[in-house]
Amino acid sequence: MNDVCVRLEGVSKRYPHFLLDNISLDLPVGSILGFIGANGAGKSTTIRILMGLVRQDSGSVQVLGHAMPAEQTAAKLDIGYVSEDMRLYGAATLAWHMNFVASIYPQWNQSYADTLVRRFDLKPQQKIKGLSHGQRVKAALLLALAREPRLLILDEPTTGLDPVARREVLAELMAVLADEHRTILFSSHNTLDVEQISDRIAFIDRGRIIALEEKEDLLDRWRRVRLVVPPTAVLPQLPGIVEVGGTERLPVLTTNRFDPAVVSLCQDRGATVQSVDSMTLEEIFVANVQSRRELQPA
Amino acid sequence: MNSSPTNYAMVRRLILKDWYLNRWMIIGSVPAGLASLAIILTGKQVAFLISIILLCMVIIGVGAQLAMATTINERKEQTLAFIMSLPVSWREYTAAKILANLIIFLIPWLAITAGALGILLLPGATHGLIPFTAIMAVEMLVTTCLIIAAGVITESQAWLTVAILCSSLGLNVLGYVFAHTHGISPQMWGTSVHWTATACTILLAEFLAAALVLAFTFFVQSRKTDFL
Repeated sequence: MNDVCVRLEGVSKRYPHFLLDNISLDLPVGSILGFIGANGAGKSTTIRILMGLVRQDSGSVQVLGHAMPAEQTAAKLDIGYVSEDMRLYGAATLAWHMNFVASIYPQWNQSYADTLVRRFDLKPQQKIKGLSHGQRVKAALLLALAREPRLLILDEPTTGLDPVARREVLAELMAVLADEHRTILFSSHNTLDVEQISDRIAFIDRGRIIALEEKEDLLDRWRRVRLVVPPTAVLPQLPGIVEVGGTERLPVLTTNRFDPAVVSLCQDRGATVQSVDSMTLEEIFVANVQSRRELQPA
Repeated sequence: MNSSPTNYAMVRRLILKDWYLNRWMIIGSVPAGLASLAIILTGKQVAFLISIILLCMVIIGVGAQLAMATTINERKEQTLAFIMSLPVSWREYTAAKILANLIIFLIPWLAITAGALGILLLPGATHGLIPFTAIMAVEMLVTTCLIIAAGVITESQAWLTVAILCSSLGLNVLGYVFAHTHGISPQMWGTSVHWTATACTILLAEFLAAALVLAFTFFVQSRKTDFL
């Protein structure tokens, strides 16, 4: 097995009103990729293609060394998948689901499953239809984690969870991250969750990957620079400016190629640098998407 | 969409899963069917007709409800994503759905059909009705195969409803046609059984039709590109 867990090359999928366009993505073994996009951006379609549940029109997909969708059954033996739109059988109990999944996966870890039952405060004999949304998500996560998959694919798992349940789910995911051989793809439009657990970030918008890099590099590159510009001063052309906000006298520049030299350059031209602010992942995502949409309207 | 060999153990697990989730409906249908049969024992021709109608309702109802629960609800209630996240291919999923529906349906179908034929074999019963009853019982099996096919292929409640309506209508029309077919009609109300060439041909055609419908289901499923 090479060091790449997931590889998508030039993957496209056309629907009547949506195009997943030429997606290329590598996910090294042991990495945690935060997959961020607005609703309808193509996250779930990409993930379904990864799982072999949707066949791409063109391009190739390799997951854990298996070509998808042709070898999906072999690949899915080592994948744990939890999706926001996945439901368990309401008429059956959690214990039944655990037995069912355990009968399929030879690597099922019952003691870990029991630990998760206690940690998530679940009752195995309770029917799924009697569980709250948070408990159902935790039950689905339990079923995915206890099979000890090499690849964990989480499609919006924290959507709709209350703060307590969200924290419990994220805490368990953080614990899972301790296994450095496990690869995780975490899709969400909640950037706070993604920022907490990911080491790589991919932004997807309108069916295209618009950014894919290490989280720290991404956070380092993006800055918001607040300036005071006197009437006599003229700002120089600064690199990587994606957005200019504020007013003419008090501009706020958003750059995706921040360099400390920019500060002295502005000062040399008579401007005062009020602050250079780091940006949250959400701010970076929104600025990135908006600037690209301005350049390429739908 | 999958090049791996069929995992029969997985197919068996999926069938058992559908049995477990629908067991009470099936178990409940057997006494309902047998109660309908008991009406025949009154010995009147009207009672026979009422009994046949009730039996058709029970058998078709079970087949339709089963297809609804195992295919349409799987998508509607979003449990399909859970099943397809497991190491399951389209081939295993389709095989499991068809076999689960057929096997589970066969439990009440066999019990009720055997009961109906058993009653007709009683001394003094109208033995001539046996071929017609067998033809109609197999016709209900074909009808159920059609309903299963519609459920598996379309996963749509609207299309399944259309299939149920068409099947019910077809069953009545074919029942009428068979009852007035030259090779069946003259012997129907006699005291001895006549397996005429016409009756045997119809039975054979029905089994062939059921096999073709199921093969067509596999063919269509194999051409699907999206499973969620």
